[in-house]
Amino acid sequence: MIGVSGLSVSYGAVQALRDVSFSAAPGKITTVLGANGAGKTTLLRTISGLVRPRAGEVTLEGDRITGTHAEDIVRRGVGHVPEGRGVIAEFTVEENLRLGSLIVRRSRAERQAAFERLYGQFPVLGERRRQSAGTLSGGERQMLAMARALVAEPRVLLLDEPSLGLAPLVTAELMSTISQLCATTGLTVILVEQNAKSALRIADQAVVLYIGRVVADDRAEVVAADERLRQYYLGLVE
Amino acid sequence: MRQRVLVSSVVGVALVIAALDATFGVPTTRLRVALALLGALGVAALGGLSVARTRRDHPLVTRVLVTVVVVVIALVATARLSSNVDTDVAIGAAMTIVLLGLSFLTGSSGQISLGNGAFMGVGAFTVAIWANHHATSPLILVLVLAVAAGAAVGFLLGLPATRLRGPYLAGMTLAFAVAFGAVLNVFGSWTGGDSGLQLPNAENAPRWLVHLYPASTASLSVNSVWLAALSVVSAGVALLLMANLFASRFGRAMRLVRDNDVAAELVGISLPRARVVAFVVSAAYAALGGALWTVVNNAVTPSTYGLALSITILSLVVIGGIGTIPGAIIGGLIYAFANSLIGWITTHTGLNPQGNVASQLNGIIFGVLLVATIVFAPMGISGALRRLWAHRSR
Amino acid sequence: MDAFLTSRPVADILGGLTNGVIYSLVALSLVLIWRSTRILNFAQGAMAMLAAYVGFAILAPTTNYWISMGVAVVAGIVLGGLTERTIVRALYGKPEINPVVAMVGFLLVLESVAAAIWSTVSRSLPTPFSIVDWQLRGRPVAMSPFALYEVVTAVVVMVVIAVVFQFTRVGLQLRAAALNPEVSRLLGVRVHRMLTVGWMLASGVGAITAVLVASNYFTGLTPTTMDGVFAFGFIAAAIGGLDSPVGALVSGVALGIAFQFVGDYLNSNAIILVALGLLIVSLMVRPNGVFTRRAQRRV
Repeated sequence: MIGVSGLSVSYGAVQALRDVSFSAAPGKITTVLGANGAGKTTLLRTISGLVRPRAGEVTLEGDRITGTHAEDIVRRGVGHVPEGRGVIAEFTVEENLRLGSLIVRRSRAERQAAFERLYGQFPVLGERRRQSAGTLSGGERQMLAMARALVAEPRVLLLDEPSLGLAPLVTAELMSTISQLCATTGLTVILVEQNAKSALRIADQAVVLYIGRVVADDRAEVVAADERLRQYYLGLVE
Repeated sequence: MRQRVLVSSVVGVALVIAALDATFGVPTTRLRVALALLGALGVAALGGLSVARTRRDHPLVTRVLVTVVVVVIALVATARLSSNVDTDVAIGAAMTIVLLGLSFLTGSSGQISLGNGAFMGVGAFTVAIWANHHATSPLILVLVLAVAAGAAVGFLLGLPATRLRGPYLAGMTLAFAVAFGAVLNVFGSWTGGDSGLQLPNAENAPRWLVHLYPASTASLSVNSVWLAALSVVSAGVALLLMANLFASRFGRAMRLVRDNDVAAELVGISLPRARVVAFVVSAAYAALGGALWTVVNNAVTPSTYGLALSITILSLVVIGGIGTIPGAIIGGLIYAFANSLIGWITTHTGLNPQGNVASQLNGIIFGVLLVATIVFAPMGISGALRRLWAHRSR
Repeated sequence: MDAFLTSRPVADILGGLTNGVIYSLVALSLVLIWRSTRILNFAQGAMAMLAAYVGFAILAPTTNYWISMGVAVVAGIVLGGLTERTIVRALYGKPEINPVVAMVGFLLVLESVAAAIWSTVSRSLPTPFSIVDWQLRGRPVAMSPFALYEVVTAVVVMVVIAVVFQFTRVGLQLRAAALNPEVSRLLGVRVHRMLTVGWMLASGVGAITAVLVASNYFTGLTPTTMDGVFAFGFIAAAIGGLDSPVGALVSGVALGIAFQFVGDYLNSNAIILVALGLLIVSLMVRPNGVFTRRAQRRV
């Protein structure tokens, strides 16, 4: 459960977010939509502690986490898969996972078991565990980035444009993976997407941003059915 | 605007007073008249400066006037000061030339050189070697030769600089500074090895200057005035050329190279050429400074031109203010009077002047100032003054 | 066989190896700091020198070599951490020449302070092993117990560093923080702490290097002991590539051996010239180092 209330962020003179409020429920996918520059990435970066807001706060299960360092927010169970995936190309697949499980105290055997569970979920990663992440395809890197966040067993998962640069078929596969994950683990997912169509298909709730402001916050079906939103803010014109 | 006029007038009046004071301190009428004339010229120059329009519409005229004023102030001072101080001024003015060169390289192209002490050495040894083989060459020829030698070595080292960035280049020039001593040793039969070279004939004041002074004046003090004047005038010429270079199309192009080399290439600036030219200019300036040192000291020793000198040069540029002409002048002044200042500190703190601490005070102070400047005021003294000034006039 | 082992080329190779491992260690410390903070630490040699003084000038009369070495290493580690926390931290994100200038200034401070406290007179360090070369049928092999100890120490240090980086939790975090600080933070790596740890490790390696250098009978320990060694170490690191620890090690040893041949067959003054020439040529051909795989540049 993530609560965002009255969040404002500026970079120098540019105000990236203005008074943004919404909440994301556990076991549900909340998608944040909007054009380039609407403030979607800034929103995620503020939640995970990379950016300090000028006003407002973020709460995790009722506790205020604004002002906490990014390194500590992730320890409290907020996993952030950044834009452009952020896998460390020079590391092997398994080293990337080891990095992801740093913050969880467990024995070597427990850690290996956790890796094996993920390899079961993402078989392609299991096959390439000794390969460097730089050799993976775009879709595989996205899988690795998600697996690396999941290995820390987060309660909240922030996904920034996971479909960016992926083929439609791969995107569809990815979306269904996210959907299953959310349904089976009770994870709170905040999914930032430019690809509104595929995001709305799997999301429960949708928040639409326009130049830093929330212009809609409703059930995904409602947003998907709203002609005005589709046309003006989401660029979905048939 | 009004403030600028006010300040200029105050400075002008101070100048007149200084000129009068100097005039009555000097020995003969002819010199007195000459100095009075120069002082008047300085006041006129500052008066012209106070009109901002002049500065905008005739930048070259302004630059010439400012240079003349600075040179005149220095000349007036040298005629009035003791010969020890005159030597300090000569050394400091030569150092100003070196600082201008490095300031241009670093300030306009963002490159760092730890080899400018060695470039000074190139100039210094060129003068000494030449003088030992051709005793009667005119001074100007010797200086030009030294500058040419510095430029040539600068060009050779500048070639790799075209492909190197920041720390790599700094490291390469550091290696050059360390290697310079070895080069001198390899050519020991020319350079005199560890003990260096003496000039066969000291540079003496020309007859017309000697005649300005009463016959009773010691030739030593006239000579020291002459040497100081020589350095100061050279520095003035170097300063003027540099001011024009800074303001020229090329200077602007160089600053673009520093701020964004990708953009610079996109608008058609040849990066390799710009970097080599900057390197050559900085080496040539350093060589001129070194050449003047040899003339002033009448001798050259290799240990002077080690890595420590290069580090001192870098410190002075940074402390004065990277990439600014006033910064280089401030750096030169600091260098000229650093030894007296440190001597003063030593006596007033009761340190043993022969002790370890006193002998290391120079390095400790320069090092601490350098680190503090780059951390707290990266634009140096001239940057801090400029900010203070901008703050006041707002 | 004996004639071969005592021959002039073999003597050069052995002597060069002994010097070369020192250059490799200096290069390794430079690479450690460069990789994590993109700073070329010009004060590396001076920091190491100061650590050696702390170990040997303060304790020398009362204790033995090994305790002094330990104290020097601890002093190096502490000095490295303090330097990062104070001077270096203020310069992250500034133009890349600022840290270069700051470290040059720090070099000046450290060398002057050392000279003010301990004077510039060379101080000879005790050696734990004989510096007399071994003999083979009455002819010397260019290797003494002490030289062997130098080589072994260098190898041990390199192996320890490699194991720490490749196989430990902290090593994983050090590498991740260097490669991608922001992603590392998102995964819980305390990046600032890692930068400090990186500087501490590099300075610890530096301290060991300085003690080995200063144990050499001919140089001893002076405030400027490390200047020349630093220049050669930098050249090794630049030729190998500031991003490549393996490159630093290989080119350090290669340079050491090459210099020994130059000094033996040409002139000892020519060594630094050859070094400068090699540096210039290699940087012209491979600006990012011989061992760096791809040209990378951060705009």
